[in-house]
Amino acid sequence: MISLIRSEIYKIRKQSKTLYALAAILIIEGFVIVSAYYQGAGIIDLLLANLKDSFEFKGNLLNGNLIIYLILNSLWFHIPLILMIIISGFLTSEYKDRTLETVMLQPVGKLNFILSKYVVSIVFTLLIVLLLAVSTFLVSYWIFGRGDLVVYLDGLNFFKSDEAFYRLIYAFVSGANSMIFFSVVSLTLAVILKDATKTWIVSAIFLICSNLLLKIDFQNEFLNELFFSKLTDSWQYFFYYKIPYSTIYFKNFMLFGYTLITMIIGIIIFKRRDIQV
Amino acid sequence: MKRLSFIFIFFISLNLISGQEIDNDLLEIKKRMDSIKSFNANIELDVDISFINMPTKYGKVRYKQGESTKVTSDDFIMLPKRGLDLTLTEIFRHPFITVNRGEEYHKGVLCKVINIIPTSSKSNFAIATLFMDTKAKRIVKSEISTKTEGVFTTYLGYQNYMDALPAAIEVQFAVNGVKIPLRFLGKETEVDRKVIKQEGSKTGKIFLRLSEVQFVK
Repeated sequence: MISLIRSEIYKIRKQSKTLYALAAILIIEGFVIVSAYYQGAGIIDLLLANLKDSFEFKGNLLNGNLIIYLILNSLWFHIPLILMIIISGFLTSEYKDRTLETVMLQPVGKLNFILSKYVVSIVFTLLIVLLLAVSTFLVSYWIFGRGDLVVYLDGLNFFKSDEAFYRLIYAFVSGANSMIFFSVVSLTLAVILKDATKTWIVSAIFLICSNLLLKIDFQNEFLNELFFSKLTDSWQYFFYYKIPYSTIYFKNFMLFGYTLITMIIGIIIFKRRDIQV
Repeated sequence: MKRLSFIFIFFISLNLISGQEIDNDLLEIKKRMDSIKSFNANIELDVDISFINMPTKYGKVRYKQGESTKVTSDDFIMLPKRGLDLTLTEIFRHPFITVNRGEEYHKGVLCKVINIIPTSSKSNFAIATLFMDTKAKRIVKSEISTKTEGVFTTYLGYQNYMDALPAAIEVQFAVNGVKIPLRFLGKETEVDRKVIKQEGSKTGKIFLRLSEVQFVK
């Protein structure tokens, strides 16, 4: 199993798509920083427009913490989309290049093979989120400095710089769990569909639907609390003025359960299916 | 005929008003405040507005006669546009007249109430009402109707009978809800346009506490 994981890591390191993923993450980050640099002051002005009649503001809200929060919002769509495309490719490329048949001719168990794919996908996802977080914090603080964070969530919430820092870190940690879910789903879709293009399309549709369903009220408490799409936003809860820790723990725990179920489904399908390309 | 008598009464009233002098008690208070040449103090600031959640902010306030009061802080702070004019500099900047409105109790203290009506168009307030504790020679409440920024009501609390500077200031004002750019919204944030329209303006409050006041001679 360990040697399989090592082999998968070696493949990822050698594949150009890994570099594309890293580049895509950094490009998204760059876009947010550049647009914030030129338009950020305008956004803040608009946000505080009605308060300007009564207040004078001292201090700078367009700071590193706000930029990190804006980049963090790419966890809604951009980052999971990139992850789903890259990670599904871990398996579909094996089908396409017929390397899967070659691997299966070796004394390698199907369970261990697919399990190593899932393990490496999770590790890859964590590394991407870590890269995003570290580079975002470094670049944002370097260019924009530190300061209070303002977020609109059930009103205007202001957080002191130190508090904003730990809230942002916790949000990245919680967001990583959501990213793992989407990565595992994409690999399971790759198991089912085999073809890269089909998997990308279905993964994108899954992500879009998941985002849309998050907003829909099912008029049913059970569905509203337990349906998978309602669980992927736990990281956002760190920006309520009073952090609802129990909700965050519950959402993360349930989403981890969905991740495990999705992985088990993928493993079962892969094990039962003949290796035919 | 009714219109003519109204115009007549209006001009007579105007003539009476223009003949009034500035209230002596107000001049006494102003004289007392003017004796403060400069001071530094720590400031603690809390905001009570329904749609704003903000932790207590800390800063420093610095006043020097002839200059506007300066507040500095390492944090982002929101200061009321009115209510920090502790030395009445803004009111006395342009000519005005005072009208005695009698006496009223404020927090158990019998206060003299006066209206301040600017006689210059340059003044940025339309009318102000001051509640003066004439025995302690200080203002305890003010209502300032500005020309463009709404009405600000300020309550001033003092630590002891001798203090010229307040230890606690509460500023009340009307404030409209926030306009939110869509891209700034979180996924969970729901904007109910009907509710926002119905809400209109709300009363906001800012609480300021001054401590470690140091007078500089």
